[in-house]
Amino acid sequence: MAKLSIDGREIEVAEGTTVIQAAEELGIYIPRYCYHPGLSIAGNCRICLVEVVNNPKLQIACNTPVTDGMVVRTQGDKAEDGRRAVLELLLANHPLDCPVCDQSGECDLQDFYMDFGLYDSKFREQKVKKNKAVVLGPHVMLDQERCILCSRCVRFTDEITKTGEFGIFNRGDKSELGIYPGDVLDNPYSANVVDICPVGALTESDFRFKARVWYLSSVPTVCNGCSQGCNIDMHFVLDRPHLNDGARLARIKPRYNADVNQWWLCDEGRYGFGWLDQDRLQRVRNGSGEDATWEQALDAIATALMGAPAGANGDRHGGARIGVIASAQLTNEELYLIREVLRDGLGASVSAAVPAAPGSSDDFLIKADKNPNTLGATLLGLAGPEAPAARTIVDQAIATGLDVLWVFGHDLVELFGEDVVRKLADNVGLFVFSGTNDNPTASFAHWVLPSAAYVEKDGTFVNCHGRVQRIGKVFPPLEDSREDWRFLLQVAGRAGVPFDAQNPEEIFRHLAAAEACFSGLSYATIGAAGASVRQSHEAPLDARPAPPAAGTP
Amino acid sequence: MKLADLDGQAQEILRLYEYPQAAMLPLLWLVQQNLGYITPESAVWVGGLVGVTRAHVHEVVTFYNMFRTEPAGRRELRVCTSLPCLLRGASELLEQIEQELGIKPGETTPDGNVTLTEVECLCACEMAPMAQLDERYVGPLVGGAVESILQDACAEPGMPETTAEPTPYISSDGPVLSTRLANPDGVWMDGYTAQGGYQAAARVLASMTPEQVIDEVKSANLRGLGGAGFPAGVKWGFIPKEGDKPVYLVVNADEGEPGTFKDRYIMERDPHALLEGMIIAAYAIGSHKAYVYIRGDYYRSAHRLQRAIDEAREAGWIGADIQGSGFDLEVVIHRGAGAYICGEETALLTSLEGGKGYPRLKPPFPAISGLFACPTIVNNVETLACVPFVLREGAARFAAIGSERQGGTRLFCVSGHVVRPGVYEAPVSVTLRQLIEDHAGGIRDGHQLKAVIPGGISAKILTADEIDVAMDFDSLMAAGSMAGSGGVIVMDDTTCMVEALAAAAKFFADESCGQCSPCREGTGWVHRILQRITDGAGRLEDLDDLLAIAGDMEGNTICVFADAAAWPVQSYISKFRDEFEDYVSSGRKAETVGAEAWQS
Repeated sequence: MAKLSIDGREIEVAEGTTVIQAAEELGIYIPRYCYHPGLSIAGNCRICLVEVVNNPKLQIACNTPVTDGMVVRTQGDKAEDGRRAVLELLLANHPLDCPVCDQSGECDLQDFYMDFGLYDSKFREQKVKKNKAVVLGPHVMLDQERCILCSRCVRFTDEITKTGEFGIFNRGDKSELGIYPGDVLDNPYSANVVDICPVGALTESDFRFKARVWYLSSVPTVCNGCSQGCNIDMHFVLDRPHLNDGARLARIKPRYNADVNQWWLCDEGRYGFGWLDQDRLQRVRNGSGEDATWEQALDAIATALMGAPAGANGDRHGGARIGVIASAQLTNEELYLIREVLRDGLGASVSAAVPAAPGSSDDFLIKADKNPNTLGATLLGLAGPEAPAARTIVDQAIATGLDVLWVFGHDLVELFGEDVVRKLADNVGLFVFSGTNDNPTASFAHWVLPSAAYVEKDGTFVNCHGRVQRIGKVFPPLEDSREDWRFLLQVAGRAGVPFDAQNPEEIFRHLAAAEACFSGLSYATIGAAGASVRQSHEAPLDARPAPPAAGTP
Repeated sequence: MKLADLDGQAQEILRLYEYPQAAMLPLLWLVQQNLGYITPESAVWVGGLVGVTRAHVHEVVTFYNMFRTEPAGRRELRVCTSLPCLLRGASELLEQIEQELGIKPGETTPDGNVTLTEVECLCACEMAPMAQLDERYVGPLVGGAVESILQDACAEPGMPETTAEPTPYISSDGPVLSTRLANPDGVWMDGYTAQGGYQAAARVLASMTPEQVIDEVKSANLRGLGGAGFPAGVKWGFIPKEGDKPVYLVVNADEGEPGTFKDRYIMERDPHALLEGMIIAAYAIGSHKAYVYIRGDYYRSAHRLQRAIDEAREAGWIGADIQGSGFDLEVVIHRGAGAYICGEETALLTSLEGGKGYPRLKPPFPAISGLFACPTIVNNVETLACVPFVLREGAARFAAIGSERQGGTRLFCVSGHVVRPGVYEAPVSVTLRQLIEDHAGGIRDGHQLKAVIPGGISAKILTADEIDVAMDFDSLMAAGSMAGSGGVIVMDDTTCMVEALAAAAKFFADESCGQCSPCREGTGWVHRILQRITDGAGRLEDLDDLLAIAGDMEGNTICVFADAAAWPVQSYISKFRDEFEDYVSSGRKAETVGAEAWQS
């Protein structure tokens, strides 16, 4: 350990810590352009210059290891003059086209300039001309004039994706960032270079000129694009429909989580949100394709689920035969409701084990399982070896005719073919489809329920590494759509199997009490970073407090 | 010629290096020599051989100014317009050549014969104004020599060249470095051994421990003669005593400091002195592999040093079990490709590893983690060429020649407005006045000394009143300048200091590697302000702006290039402020210069 003082405040940190890291532990943010904690040290931008007492030259905080007794000043004339000098030189050839730059408002050049800019430029020469609005690939655009050559993107494609597309060509003030002429920046993580670009050199094609960033709101959540569950922030705009082409969600940015995705996010996840504002189911629909109310639908469904009045054989609910094809796209809370209400309460046969062709995958973040909550469904017994296969339920429905078949989101037409689905619709008493987006299966359903998208509700997923993570409600459900957990609770009440909860957090409380692997967890303990189910699962069972009385019916 | 035809040669090159990427520059040279330029296909081919993407190959190709990405003429005529050549008429020379060939720099004659290129210092200021026709250095290009070189450039292939070999003055009096420099054809194994060559190496290998060698070099007060002046023996002592990584000796033969041209003479005329010094140094630091990084323009140095290496291998001085001592040493010549910054030792290592010449963050220093992340000693050619003398004649004798804290002599390179530009060996205690007046024959007739740069273009300028200073590192530092590379650039009263500074600024702007923002932006900014001033559009405020920008660059970057770029700005303006103000006010150079053209 080494004890040092930064701006008069003492701190003890491990040997090998750099000054910039030690300062961060004290909450002192030293300006940086080339430094990025996820990349190697380049030391080229020089903006993190600090004064190390007894050292005649200013030192760069990113590459200066702490030593015992070191006295560092990030403030004061010496350090600030150094940073001011660097900033002035960085801006010498910068085009200062902030009014038309997408980075405006989240630009480190702008931000640090506010702190120690000169406000009176002595630069009177012709600036170096370079290329602007260069399309590098499907997602990223380059403005060479705005680039300050910090090399973060070069290091990202060298060290993280190991694809090596970027280079800094030429030398001196003719140095320019680029990719090989004719090359395309299309690696699966290409847009991360936009996130780490501290200025407006690399911008997103998708977000280009869509909205000023200061009009955006942000909510932390988790990507549902695959079972990795990368942590993200969703940036959206609701109150200015003239921005962002009227869509609510403007863009997705990765959110740091050391245990899941660090600073990164794949392009598939980042740009896979078009469905949120396109082809959504917005109204309840009956079998004739007419709009209906939730009350009509929920009453009809509940009635069918209850089946015949209780019979002499002691069946509580008269023995309606029910099949449910649930989904690993649903939250743990919703899957738990399906299990407790539909399976255990009403005797439904439930499967979330729905076949899917594996998608693309790699050894980094992208997983072949494109469902965000397969492990959650498995832990709850709705998927995995103990659960019936979806196909079994479908076959059973066709062979014996079920009273109710409820499909959550899946397109059975794509999975099993249109003939199978037509037979299902003919043989099943009531065919319910609930989902966020229209699909061919929905057109065969007797009731179509518009589900809220995952960004329109709260809940949790368990990622493929056993980490429970909260999804955050970004904005309210679109039009007349409704959260699955909400209409499941409503159906439960109408079908005579009420479940004592008002919201996902309360449902989770029941779940955590009932399920060993979730034991001890709550929304508070999961927090923004998530918590491992396996860890809590491994805790000795007898050491755990007795679960509170279950609230299940 | 197809790329596939080069596979065999490429494999031979790859075998010379521990890591394929280090073969980047030689493979690019192979391509350019056979295809004329680096084609897009060859960038992919080289990338595949060394294991990097074509973007990274392209970075390297565009960083070094000797690599071309487009076809050029049959021959290339490269005209130097750096400060020492400007002082002796390079502007008029270039103008004349442009007129005769009918093209501008960067263009090729319509018949495809000659590409004209304007280049920064080729380190041949003793033959200024000079040029390079393909591999060959020619100069001074005055009078009939201009016609002659143009005739050669345009001649049918295979015709004998008409331009005479340069015959500048090169000291041959010794005692340390110049005793074998008289013969333009070089001294080879027989001649070298006849004069006591390899005796020191023999004695070291047979009877000394590495520690004894290091102690001897320490007590000789041999300082690093590349420019930094760091004690060589102390540097060798930094190599960790224990460790399982290989140790490398890297020779810095990337001579590039404008005003400096000594290492070329050692390599071309006395290459075995360098090799013997390398053997002794390698033994002292426990290295079995040495690389000699020679600047790309120095074709003849590379050819001749290779010939010496072949001779030495034949005679058992290089290879396995040297002279039966059990000590092994392999030597590989690695050619640069046109980047001044590669003379900075860590940039040299990055370049040698196959990258752009970007200096590295320190620590770690090369002695701990240098080439291929292994302990490495980088020594200048001249430094190593002193080593055989030290070990043969004794540290005491070497130390006695010099000043108190710097032993021996240096090969001082005197250029500019002296009667006899050339290489002069003198004890480091020699004064600047003695060098100019006694050795180089004084200022040319009818003129007075105005200013002198004592240690290469990076050194702070001294006025005519400041030349009674000894040329050792400590004395020149005390005088507010530096001994640097030993390149003495002399300016007489015809010299316009504003235009001299503009030339220096252009050099630094062209040669900044561009890695650190203060240097990348600052050198370009300074250059553009000075260009505007010399275009007649200067303002008085520019002078303080220049000083402010120089101050902002100084000390704020990874290497000292930015400092070196700042020092001329600071020293020229502060010492010749009146002249700068006059120039800016009138929009032209001062009347005091007289009717004579300043580059006459």
